[in-house]
Amino acid sequence: MKRRSFLKGTLATGAAAVAVNAGLLTPNVVLAADWNSKAFKAKTTDDALNSAFGSASVADSGDIKLKAPAIAENGAVTPVTVDASGIDGVESIAIMASKNTHPLVCEYNFGAGALGYVSTRIKMGKTMNVVAVVKAGGKLLKAEQEVKVTIGGCGG
Amino acid sequence: MSIKIRMRGKSKGGVAQVKALIKHPMESGARMNKKTGKPYPAKFIDMVQVSVNGTAAVDAQWSGAVSANPYMAVKLNANSGDEVTVSITDNTGAKGTKSIKLK
Repeated sequence: MKRRSFLKGTLATGAAAVAVNAGLLTPNVVLAADWNSKAFKAKTTDDALNSAFGSASVADSGDIKLKAPAIAENGAVTPVTVDASGIDGVESIAIMASKNTHPLVCEYNFGAGALGYVSTRIKMGKTMNVVAVVKAGGKLLKAEQEVKVTIGGCGG
Repeated sequence: MSIKIRMRGKSKGGVAQVKALIKHPMESGARMNKKTGKPYPAKFIDMVQVSVNGTAAVDAQWSGAVSANPYMAVKLNANSGDEVTVSITDNTGAKGTKSIKLK
């Protein structure tokens, strides 16, 4: 960090630039507190759920449409789509890769202006289940699908 | 340097699908550099926000397990002409924002 601010300081001239520099660094600290590091560093899906939603009791639901390939040729780019727009009052969707070192991949929280739908691409280390957890009306629902990975995504 | 984002969005019957493609290495911090035996330092997007006409609609947290050059699609209650903004921050503090008008 020291070296970085030094470089920035030498490139920019004047005291104003130093002020901007300090301004750039502070929001980073604030955001780091917002990021749910406990949930993302959890080693099991249950721990991740407990940290993210405060509960690990999840019911299976047929209303969640989870779209993932049966066989992913490259685990580093596994397309995953979670469509829970058929459920009323979706508050958040979390996508987990059950056997990754840190299972929680991403978590989306929805406001009034959004539908419970998310499509993204995730990294998977080996063959495992993709779990989509949907929080709607205070309840946790999930859908699971196994994805066979032929090339590893995490460090492979 | 700001992070590059490419976006497309189209509204149909009050529901808009917005797609975003972000240019980012998404280094999780776990991958080892085989030559030095040390891990590549983590650099991944951790916060993503989508807003419609300035009102937050989707607020996401990501880990390093989202693929490199991430693709994201969300559905929003928005009409054509509405302004959709995606803003992202990575764990090193780098930021990126992009706004489009829905078709």
